This record gives sequence, structure tokens and C-alpha cells, in this order.
Amino acid sequence: MRPAWLFCGAGVTVIGIYYLLPTGGQGQFVIYDTVGVTSAVAIAAGVRLNRPANPLPWLLFAVGNLLFAVADIIFNILVNPKVPSIADGFYLAGYPFLVAGLLLLLVHAGGHHRVPALGEALIVTIAFALFQWVFLMAPFARGEGTLAHRAVDVAYPGMDTLLIAGLAGFFVTAAWRTRAFSLLVASLVALLIADELYLGAYASGSWIDSLWLLSYVLWATAALHPSMRDLSEPRRVRSIRVSRWRLGLLVGALMTAPTVLLVQWIRGASLEVPAIFTAAVVISGVVMLRLTGILRALERLRVRERVARGEALAAQAELAERNIRLVEADQLKDEFVALISHDLRTPLTSIIGYIELALDPEGDSPLDEERQHYLEVVSRNSERLLHLVDDLLFVARVRSGQLVLNLEQLDLGELAAEAIQAARPDAENAGLSLSLEADQATLVEADRARLLTLLENLISNAIKFTPRGGRIDVRALPAAGGVLEVSDTGIGLAAGEAELVFDRFFRSRNAMERQISGTGLGLFIARSIVEAHGGSISAANREDGGTTFRITLPLRAKPQQTPGTAELVA
Amino acid sequence: MSGTLVLVAEDDEDILLLVATRLERDGFEVLQARDGNEAFALAHKRHPAVAVIDVGMPGLDGFEVTARMRADESLRNTLIVLLTARAQEADVRRGLDAGADMYLRKPFSPAKLSTSLKELLKRHSSGGGA
Repeated sequence: MRPAWLFCGAGVTVIGIYYLLPTGGQGQFVIYDTVGVTSAVAIAAGVRLNRPANPLPWLLFAVGNLLFAVADIIFNILVNPKVPSIADGFYLAGYPFLVAGLLLLLVHAGGHHRVPALGEALIVTIAFALFQWVFLMAPFARGEGTLAHRAVDVAYPGMDTLLIAGLAGFFVTAAWRTRAFSLLVASLVALLIADELYLGAYASGSWIDSLWLLSYVLWATAALHPSMRDLSEPRRVRSIRVSRWRLGLLVGALMTAPTVLLVQWIRGASLEVPAIFTAAVVISGVVMLRLTGILRALERLRVRERVARGEALAAQAELAERNIRLVEADQLKDEFVALISHDLRTPLTSIIGYIELALDPEGDSPLDEERQHYLEVVSRNSERLLHLVDDLLFVARVRSGQLVLNLEQLDLGELAAEAIQAARPDAENAGLSLSLEADQATLVEADRARLLTLLENLISNAIKFTPRGGRIDVRALPAAGGVLEVSDTGIGLAAGEAELVFDRFFRSRNAMERQISGTGLGLFIARSIVEAHGGSISAANREDGGTTFRITLPLRAKPQQTPGTAELVA
Repeated sequence: MSGTLVLVAEDDEDILLLVATRLERDGFEVLQARDGNEAFALAHKRHPAVAVIDVGMPGLDGFEVTARMRADESLRNTLIVLLTARAQEADVRRGLDAGADMYLRKPFSPAKLSTSLKELLKRHSSGGGA
């Protein structure tokens, strides 16, 4: 960025110095010619510095500007030569290079909007050409002087028209927002204004020189600016925007011919009917084509949108249907689990019952100690199996919305004492101390049996996950209804598991690593029970290790009515 | 309690034998039925003090046997205990509505069943006398 602005600043300073020197003097000539040559070289340096993807257009710019600079030198050596001079030849030779460079840039930068860009460039060019012809070129063409003199006079506005063509094409591409393009436009505008004014009255050292000099400097600044790379790279513009600017351009183009006609009529000048007629026809045709193009593009866009919307709707419908089927499959699975759970109970009745009979001390033939131990193992495991079957059945019931609460007024402290009483043998076996903290009555309306299951689940979990010698504390406190807390000094939760532990079949990483058995149902059941009461449950690691489960119950249970419950009542 | 007549109706042979063995060890006299029709016929004929009836039996199910027994004037004093693997609220309600005195969920401890029967009989005899 820096070389560009340094060059620009230096250039403007030199232009200032130019006007401090005697008009038409040798000093001015030297400065003028130096600015021209330096700028041409700077453009080539910009290509080297910025390494654009496509350097050719910029090299063409360098050549065009160099030809101008050579023309300047010749013009100054000859000192205001008569038209046509050899200087004019060099000047006019420079323009095609600039136009070719602009067109090349445009073809690259336009992306897939190349055709609209060229179309709109054509409209602007013809409109401008009409002005040029009617107000500048025609009077000279029919004016006095030699044919060569008139041809050269007409050639300058003609070249300007070509420059406008290249410039206009750029305005409809995405490139026109870059700094390099702004500089390029400023440079060309300066050049155009100077060219238009030149045909009036000119002499060396005139203020018009500042415009040409500025054009040189700005062109080189554009080439040195890093954003010149963006002008050489294709840019994709997705949507076609019918901007106010674009519509204004089309309307303005359509107005050109009638405006010129009106102005000529007011001036009482020659109407130039053939030129105006031709321009009007061509502009109208191109504008119509552009409008058709825009309408077609919009229509294509609308069709694409309609198709996309149709596809989205179809996908949505399919998704909904698939979802229904998934829900059905899920329900089927839950029904299946319920059925299986029931069917498992019958053989379990025999297993558990006969073990009990076999272990009955009043039985016919007493067992030896070894066999008695075996049967006790079988007994313990069939109880475990039964527990699993119960859990699965409970989950299936919760999932089908059939969890019904038998509400009664109860004291959470008493309930906790009962649960602790039941869990004490297991805790003692595991070498854990189990304590209750319930200083005052905590009365809530809830389902006694379910809350007992809940507490048993939490306490048995705590026993499972707490190493020997640890402590389990159960607290009941009246706060916004009732709060139950079960804390342990166990292995704690792995990071990020505080929410997940309540999911169905979730197994904690710590539990898996330590190979602690479980189904991943206990805490899901706990949460289901709490939520059925309209309460909440959360888990958190304690600062000194271990986990605290905290349950908050409302004063009165607010059971959520689920669809399944209604069916059951009916 | 000795010699108290108990009807046990259960289509699963193993469970039937299990309950019968336990109850006989505890001094009950046990009548065995393997389906609902047999159960009702036996109850009608022998008038047991307690009928332990499985809900899920072929032919007449436990609810229907209960309903028939309750409709039979001669079985007015027979206590009915239902056994079932299904233990949803609706099943319990249905059993109690049909006239059962107790509802036991499978799997159960035979010893506990025996104890419950004794308690039920005791309560009934004292309650029935008042």
C-alpha cells in the first residue's frame, strides 16, 4: 500500500512545482516529460510488485502511457506543432493499448456476469458516442482545414469514447469497489476531461496540463496499489441485483437520443438525424435485450426458488413421516420391553421361590454349608435380575407416559430415614458410614413408594461409587417445597457428565473404567420420578471429591399429564 | 391355622407346586386347580377359607373367577388373593374391583405369601365377628 501513496504524494507535489516554473519554459517541459515516463515505468513496477494473476492488461497500460509520454516529449521538442504532427500519431497510438487493457481486465474480472457487463458497457458507450459525435466530432469533421487535420481532431473524441466503453464495463462488475479501480477511474476521468477541453483552446503550461499529469500519476498509483490484483482476478457475484444504479443507467441511456435531439433543436444547430436515429435504435435494442436478460434471470431465480421450496417441503414431509415411524418403532420397543418384563416374572417366581424353599431351615433335608452358599449366590443374583426387569419395566412405562402417582402428605426426613434403614446393611458391607441430617419436618405432597425408590437408587449408587472408608450423607431440608440431598465421598463425575448421567442407558466414564456394573437406568428412573412430581434433580462434584445429588420437590406435586396417562384412565 | 383349606389356582405347574409345598409345610390343607373353570368348580364344591388365584390362566382368567365367586352366595366368606405378573395400577384396581381381598405381584416370596394369608385370615375372623 505504501509505495502507491508515496508515489501519489510525490506526483502531486511535482505537479505543484510544475506551476511554480515559468509557463512554457524548459523546466516545465522537463517536469512534464519526467512525470509521463516515470508513470509508465511505475505501472510496470506495480506489475512486478503486486504480481497480479493476469499481468497483461497492466503491461498494456504501461505501453499506452509510455506512448503518451513519448508523444509529450516530441510535442515539447517541436513546441506546439501544427496538427497533425508526429506527436498526434503517438498520442493516438497510445489509446488502443489502454482500451485493450481495460477490455482484458473486464473480461477477466466480470466472472459469469460478463455478458450483462458488456451489454451495459455497450449502452453507455453508444450514448456517450452520440454526445461526442453530435457536439464535438461532427462540427470538426465538417469544419475547415485539411482532411488530416480534421481526422486527427475527430480521432481524439473517438478514442475517448473507446475509453468510456472500457470504463463503463467495469461499473457493473464487483471490481468497482476496489481502491485500485477508483484510482483508475479518477485517472481516466482526468484524461477525458483534459481531452475534451483540449479541442477548445490549449497552449503549453495551461491548467489543463494538471489533468493530464494527474492522470499519469493516478494511473501509476492504481498499478502500485495492492488491490490492483483484485481487478485481475475473476470474482463471482451470485445474485443479480436490479439496483437503482442499474435501472438509472438504462433509463438514462434511453433518454440520450431525445435529449440530444432537444438540445440541438434549442441551439438551432444541425439535428444530425442519421446519427441520432442510429444511436436511438441501437440503444433501444440493447436496452430491451438487457431488460429481457434481467427479467429472464429473475424468472430463472424464481423458478429455482420454487423448485427449492418444493424440494424443501417434500423433504420436510418425508422427515415428518420418518419421524412418525421412528416414534412408532420406539413405542413398539417399549411395549415389547413391557411384555418381556412380564414374561420374565413367571420363571423368576419359580427361581426365587424354590431357592427360598431350598434354603428353608425347616425343610425336609437340611443343606450342607457349601450348597447353602451356592444357593445364596443364586438367590442374590436372581434378586439382581428381578431388579433389572423392574427397572426396564419402569422405564418402558415412563416412556409410554403411564407413570401414575399416588399422592399423600409425607415428611421427606422420615422417608430418608426409612431409605437409610433399608440401605444400612449394604453400606456396612461396603465399609461406608451412612448418616441422615433432617433437623425439621420437610412436608411435601408426593408418591411415597416412588420417592423411596428414588432415594434407594441414589443411595445404592453412592454405595457403588464410594471406596471403602467413605461417607454418605443424606439431607432433607424444607426450602421452596422440599430438598433432598445425597452426597458421597466417591469417585465423582467425569467432566461434562453432570447432565448426561440422567440419560437412559448412560454409563459414566469413571464407572466403565473401574468396571462398576450397572445398566444406566437408575438415574434415568430417578429423574423420571422427580419430573413426574414437577421437581428437578441435579448432580455436581463436591469440592473435596465425591458427588452431590440434589432433588427439589414442589410443595404439592404437579404431575405432568402425558397422553399415555389419559388412555390408562379411560 | 392348622387344617385351614386353601385353594391354589395356577396354570404354571412349578409355581403351583411351590405355593402348595410352602402352604402345606405351614399347616394349610391345599386344593390344587390348573385353570379357571377347575378353580371355580373346586371352590364351589369345597368352600375354602382362602383362594389364591393366578390372574393369567387359560379359560376363565383370575378376574373372571373372582367375579364368579363373588356372585356365588355360598362363597361369601372365602377370601381371595390374586397373583399376577402384571402389576400396573389398572390391574390392581381391576382385581380389587372384582372383589379380591389382596393382590400379590410375581415374583413373591412363598414364605411371605404364607404369612400374609395367616394375617388376612386373622384379621378377617376378628373383623368378621364384629
